Amino acid sequence: MEQTIFYILAAAAVLATVLAITEKHPVHAILFLVTSLFSMATIFYLLMAPLVAAFEVILYAGAIMVLFLFVIMMLDLGHPEKGLAPHWKEWLPAAVLSGISIASLVLVIVSRHAAPAAPAAMPTIREVAVRLFQEHGLAVELISLQLLFALVGALYLGRQAKSGDSK
Amino acid sequence: MDMITIPAVNFTPILPEIFLSVLAMVLLLINVFIPGDRKAYLGYLSFVGIVAAGVLVAAGWGGHIESFSGSVVLDNFATFFKMIFLVSAGLAVLISDQYMEREGCNHGELYPLILFTVVGMMLMASGTDLMTIFLGLEVMSVALYVLAGFNRKNPKSNEAGLKYFLLGCFSTGFLLYGMALTYGATGTTRIAKIAAVVGQMSLPSANIMLVAGMLLMLTGFAFKIAAAPFHMWTPDVYEGAPTPMTAFMSAGPKAAGFAAALRIFLVALPTLQVEWSQVLWVLAVLTMTVGNITALRQDNIKRMLAYSSIAHAGYALVGFTAGNGTGTAGILFYMLSYAFMNIGAFAIIILVGKKGESNGNVQDFAGFGVKHPVLAVAMSIFLFSLAGMPPTAGFIGKFYLFSGAIQQGYIWLAIIGVLNSAASVYYYLRVMVFMYMKDPTEEFDWMQVTAPMALCVAISVIGSLIPGIIPSLILQFAQQAIKLI
Repeated sequence: MEQTIFYILAAAAVLATVLAITEKHPVHAILFLVTSLFSMATIFYLLMAPLVAAFEVILYAGAIMVLFLFVIMMLDLGHPEKGLAPHWKEWLPAAVLSGISIASLVLVIVSRHAAPAAPAAMPTIREVAVRLFQEHGLAVELISLQLLFALVGALYLGRQAKSGDSK
Repeated sequence: MDMITIPAVNFTPILPEIFLSVLAMVLLLINVFIPGDRKAYLGYLSFVGIVAAGVLVAAGWGGHIESFSGSVVLDNFATFFKMIFLVSAGLAVLISDQYMEREGCNHGELYPLILFTVVGMMLMASGTDLMTIFLGLEVMSVALYVLAGFNRKNPKSNEAGLKYFLLGCFSTGFLLYGMALTYGATGTTRIAKIAAVVGQMSLPSANIMLVAGMLLMLTGFAFKIAAAPFHMWTPDVYEGAPTPMTAFMSAGPKAAGFAAALRIFLVALPTLQVEWSQVLWVLAVLTMTVGNITALRQDNIKRMLAYSSIAHAGYALVGFTAGNGTGTAGILFYMLSYAFMNIGAFAIIILVGKKGESNGNVQDFAGFGVKHPVLAVAMSIFLFSLAGMPPTAGFIGKFYLFSGAIQQGYIWLAIIGVLNSAASVYYYLRVMVFMYMKDPTEEFDWMQVTAPMALCVAISVIGSLIPGIIPSLILQFAQQAIKLI
């Protein structure tokens, strides 16, 4: 069953990503991207990586996408709202895709709980941390350095907020 | 709850990287307290720092230390490439101040960003884990995107930064996908372990995931070294970026791309050499031909050197295609001499140029040989070396690259390379014709040659001549460097 769910989710993720690119309305595009990330999160959960699944939801779908939404709202790029009740054609794809990812998440969790053997195979957060800091300690340091200098670069290029600068 | 024990790590292999990162951060802090007209001091400080880092790197010659549980290694291969990066960064720092002052963007962030780029490149050369190499590349690229758009008041520079950023991200996606597929096929990201796993496969070329991963990684690296048909970004970015950064970008990051690609393909995937050398053969021919043919028609000298830099990546790819000792040693030798001759040529371009990036056409060199004979001789040496004429470093470099190809039986590849090299003589000599045989269309102003600029030109002249006259001086190191591969 899990394999079937994987294929459905993978299709949903690809479809949502394509829609995120083709959608003209920026807010809709972001919501499709969130849908895609949710499907990805469930796929990670299927692949015995609950921590990555949680990161995907909390960081990407949660923090970053909400930031995107806020920026778009602040810039006021979206078209004026058409009305309180949009046409069903407009929200149907989103509803179907998010329905798929939520339904499969519920299904997976319920089925995993029924079979207690499965969670034992999942690596704990501790194991992930040990791998991260023992084997890839250098990578962690590098990423932090890179973030620092990305910040320096962004500050430098954006300081004279005269025109739309390159980043 | 007990703590996670962090294993004791040996910091020796990444000592130069640590030194340069700390120096970059210190310079960022000092920058705040230095008034706008004295930013040159930061340049002097970073030059001293680069020389000190060079001493640290040189001290590691001959050693072989793995650290961070196999993420990085200190070996001669990494040391040689680190020297190339330091040479290109050092020369770029020397020519930056005068140019940035003239263009009115002498901001202190320049030098830390250059140093940081070097840290990324060093990790690309010394990384023995796909993750380290990828992060090194990202560290390098992020700083380079900013450096390309450093002249933020100039729309062309902005365009260069944005173009490089967008296309760079796109190509990084290819590289990362390739690494992910390779990880999927072999179950590890450590280069040595990948080699072991692939070596045990009965028919590695039948493993579609592995071959797809290899091709995607090749695409990613081909973009970084500006190989055709992934070169489209190069002319625009090189033309728009501030000239010292163009010089830096054409020497350092290109060498870094070769360093990482050589290590991955020769150490991790030698069993697939038949497959990847076929692709590289086509890439090399395309890159040389497209670069040289297009350069023939360029009037803007920065654009011309951009296409010439594409062609030079093609020559180096000839050595890569061969994949043998002579060819790979040739790449190392060539990348080092290319750093000298190319940055030297860009230094002269900066001197001839005027504020606002004007005076950048080949025609503007008319009469240069009469007005500034010493600088014109230096420029001639750089151009001769780029064209590959004896007794310059460029000749010896090409000689080893092409003889490596012939040893492996790639006769046609070598012939195409030599023909391309002959065609390239036209556009290099065209500049010299303007310098010596045309009357100046307008008077050259009194040209200010600052001390760092003069030092850069002098070092570059020595660097383009000495390896050509006494090749063994550099070549013995290059040959020792590739032994570990």
